[in-house]
Amino acid sequence: MAINVATVQEVESTDSVVSSRFGWLRAFRRPLTLTGVIIVAIFCVLAIIGPFIAPYDPSSVSKATLQPPSPEHWLGTTQTGQDILSQMLYGTQVSMIVGVLAAVFATVLSVVVGLAAGYLGGISDEILSLLANIFLVIPALPLTVILAAYLPKTGSFGIILVISITGWAWGARVLRAQTLSLRKRDFVEAARATGERTTSIIFRDIFPNQVAVIAASFLGTVTGAILTQASLAFLGLTNVTEWSWGTILYWAQVSSALLTGSWWWFVPAGAAIALLGTGLSLVNFGIDEFINPRLRQAGIGTRKAQRAQVRPTRLKAPRRSRREARASVSGGRTGDVILQINGLEVDYVGEGSTTKAVNDVTLTLRRGEVLGIAGESGSGKSTLAHAITRLHKPPAWISAGEMLYQRDDGTVVDILTMGDEELRRFRWEELAIVFQSAMHALNPILSIGKQIEDAITAHRPSMSASERAARVLELLDLVGIQTDRAGAYPHELSGGMRQRAMIAVGLALDPEIIVMDEPTTALDVVIQRQIVEKIIELKDRLGFSVIFITHDLSLLIEMSDTIAVMYAGRVVELADAKEFYRNPRHPYSRGLLGSFPTLSGPKRELAGIPGSPPDLRHPPSGCAFNPRCPLAFDRCTVVVPPLFALSGEAEWRQAEAACLLYEGGGTVPDRASVHETDERLIEEAR
Amino acid sequence: MRVLLRRGFFYLITAWAAISLNFLLPRIMPGDPADALIEKFHGKLTPAAVQALRVLFGQGHASLWQQYVDYWHNVFTGDFGISYAYYPTPVSDVLGQSIGWTLVLISVCTVLGFVIGTGLGMIVGWKRGSWLDSLIPITTLLSSIPYFWFAICVVLLFAIVLHWFPLSGGYAVTETIGFNWGFISSAVYYAALPALTIVVASIGGWLIGMRNMMITTLSEDYVKLAEAKGLPKRRVMFTYAARNAMLPSFSSFAMSLGFVVGGSIVTEVVFNYPGIGTVLFKAAQAQDYPLMQGIFLVITVTVLVANMLADLAYVFLDPRTREG
Ligand SMILES: Nc1ncnc2c1ncn2[C@@H]1O[C@H](COP(=O)(O)OP(=O)(O)OP(=O)(O)O)[C@@H](O)[C@H]1O
Ligand code: SF4
Ligand SMILES: [Mg+2]
Repeated sequence: MAINVATVQEVESTDSVVSSRFGWLRAFRRPLTLTGVIIVAIFCVLAIIGPFIAPYDPSSVSKATLQPPSPEHWLGTTQTGQDILSQMLYGTQVSMIVGVLAAVFATVLSVVVGLAAGYLGGISDEILSLLANIFLVIPALPLTVILAAYLPKTGSFGIILVISITGWAWGARVLRAQTLSLRKRDFVEAARATGERTTSIIFRDIFPNQVAVIAASFLGTVTGAILTQASLAFLGLTNVTEWSWGTILYWAQVSSALLTGSWWWFVPAGAAIALLGTGLSLVNFGIDEFINPRLRQAGIGTRKAQRAQVRPTRLKAPRRSRREARASVSGGRTGDVILQINGLEVDYVGEGSTTKAVNDVTLTLRRGEVLGIAGESGSGKSTLAHAITRLHKPPAWISAGEMLYQRDDGTVVDILTMGDEELRRFRWEELAIVFQSAMHALNPILSIGKQIEDAITAHRPSMSASERAARVLELLDLVGIQTDRAGAYPHELSGGMRQRAMIAVGLALDPEIIVMDEPTTALDVVIQRQIVEKIIELKDRLGFSVIFITHDLSLLIEMSDTIAVMYAGRVVELADAKEFYRNPRHPYSRGLLGSFPTLSGPKRELAGIPGSPPDLRHPPSGCAFNPRCPLAFDRCTVVVPPLFALSGEAEWRQAEAACLLYEGGGTVPDRASVHETDERLIEEAR
Repeated sequence: MRVLLRRGFFYLITAWAAISLNFLLPRIMPGDPADALIEKFHGKLTPAAVQALRVLFGQGHASLWQQYVDYWHNVFTGDFGISYAYYPTPVSDVLGQSIGWTLVLISVCTVLGFVIGTGLGMIVGWKRGSWLDSLIPITTLLSSIPYFWFAICVVLLFAIVLHWFPLSGGYAVTETIGFNWGFISSAVYYAALPALTIVVASIGGWLIGMRNMMITTLSEDYVKLAEAKGLPKRRVMFTYAARNAMLPSFSSFAMSLGFVVGGSIVTEVVFNYPGIGTVLFKAAQAQDYPLMQGIFLVITVTVLVANMLADLAYVFLDPRTREG
């Protein structure tokens, strides 16, 4: 029962989305869960048929006293010659009935109280929650003992009542929290917004989650009830002439079975309780993993991905020597390349299927450049950002590619082949990252000053405490936070200030590169502007390079030097920001640009792109964009287009696009006609 | 600090509820415990003792309200009547002699179990996906074992077969209770097996709860960021992952503690340990209601205090609770 405390609690905070109504059935495929189900099933069967297959009357005495296990008495006999196997078989029935019935009553009680408190809210919620909390704090066993002692003659039914009265509170509390958070869940809102009927929302979206939680709490209570019954029986507080596992232990104890060394008397009953409890817990793990997807992921595809993470050198791509690598960095390109990503691939290893979230990505970042990465949700931007910093976690793993970093002194290293310690030193000192949500990216229990400081402590051990403190204040000042807020905790800051704090953390060690994954998405437009301006100002002053990821194409065009557009894990267009804005080449980029109004300049009509992004587990053959491309032709479903170099102006780099229309120096119909095609398609769709 | 005040207020309400429950139970239960007891000790009870029984269990001539007031008076003066299992010792004396044993044993074991279990859970969660995951079924089995049965097995192995530890009791009878080396070392020696039982049996629950929370916390952005910052592994694991992962353990401490206390009480019986659990067992056998109620009150109050300590620790660990 104590086992699922932490995880069931977790339900209150994660946004676990249940994909299908019978998704939970999948949980039973895990071997551990299946073992649990089998154990529980066997005990259920024994509980039903036990008394019929028992070889003896469990209470009838015989002359064969204190016999160890033998062919006549498989589990031996008691001091009075009773057959222990028969007692066990009868006992299974009583123990299981008490456990299950008590759990049923307790669960009904907790469902009623929990749902009522969650749905009614207000004063009824206050009172019911208080009641549940009181029952939770009052130690159950002594209370149960007293209650049971007052009802000595009532037998099992009294025990069932007593256990349910003391055992409902936890389930009620969890269900209340669950109900409250479910009411606010995105997917429930979404279902409502799409006009689904309330009943179908309840049955399709709310119910499965609730059922899982109720089931977990029910199984936990069964375990608890069986244990409590056994404890009470062992203390002699139940009807000791009724055979249950606990009564067997009671008689063993009062007859000093221990002193006579008759282990067979007490071992089977305890083992049965432990085994059944284990079975129930294992089933509960399955349910837990269903409720909490993060737990599930810890088990899926983990071996492979984990190994890949531990030994990043084992890549499919052939390793090159460092000199060769260096040559490819400086080879032919203009400017001072700081990061060169070649053929990077990142997979999510799932149960049975593999998602290629980053597919053959080759990118170049120069010193002082702002490289903007755009793309729809799910196009692999964050996966790429995490891979660059090697922060990807199982089930993600890098299956191919290299990431060459050129140090100030001209030496080149592949980030993917760094050992643990080398990587640790490299991180933050050279490459920092700013996450989308500062709320989640700042440790809630450390002050922001501490979180800046510990990066410094880790990398500059020789710095004195006062120097570090001074640096912290300097950084806060740099990003525009009053220096007296250094001791503030993240929850005490506004959203904008938190994001500034994040940037201050990022700048702590003067990194060469900062990767920013949607650093401003969660903020309102005014704050967003301030932050972006701050970043540009700091970049100009400190001279770092930025990889900037966002949905906001107009923002990106304004602040970036070059832009990479991602679609279905691939870079489909790469160009100078100005050139890209003036003349987007890839049909997808054109759709994107059509769908984003710019801050400066005339507002564009939101043309949008019909259709939705592909399922990366089963990407379309050929060009991944072909199902949505207004210009698609036959070859598009056959050939995966590589990046084709394009003509046109180039300050930072020559534009490239991955579209078969540019194959062999071809061109695309001009913009107006593309738009016409789009509009015609939309017309047809109507 | 408002949080602490609120919690303190909640504990006061809970204590009030528990004590009132204690008052009400014998009055709403079928049968008449007071009469049963007076019957049982026919002629042996002094009029004062009979009067005390009436106050505790009702059936006096006073109104229910008057009885309630009297009852509270008794609670505050520590007068829980006379124990029948240990007749004629007053309940408060019986409690006074046994509570210390239990308090020391359970608090030490709870802290040990929590520290070891949470520590192991932290490591297993940190190294998720490694061979350590195979510990989970074993720990599950361990945490499903009834404490008292595990105690029996431990006694069989270490006391009866191996003779490493004494079979039962709290100290060697040759020692005199007091603050002297002989007694303390003997008490520690005698407590070893019960402590082992409670610690081992309670580790599993903490371990699995912490492991699951650890895994959930490890995918939080702030842990990723800590790694990205190039912090030493130990700092990421302790200050970023574990400290956050531990918080739910504190907020659900009440239930886990109830579990451990319940288990320990029954464990004492197996070892015939001179603590509250053994006394409760004897009281239940003898239908000694005054003693049972006294025990219930003492345990409840102790558990409330323990919960308050857990709340304090929580406030210390989580700055978000400190505002206002
Ligand atoms: N843990 C995971 N397991 C399996 N697939 C995943 C996982 N995380 C992401 N993916 C898949 O990888 C793809 C890329 O996800 P990613 O988070 O990189 O997208 P994104 O471009 O950052 O989107 P957004 O703009 O919404 O942040 C998605 O299709 C997603 O389904
Ligand atoms: S390759 Fe074909 S489908 Fe893909 S973008 Fe170009 S025209 Fe469209
Ligand atoms: Mg993203």
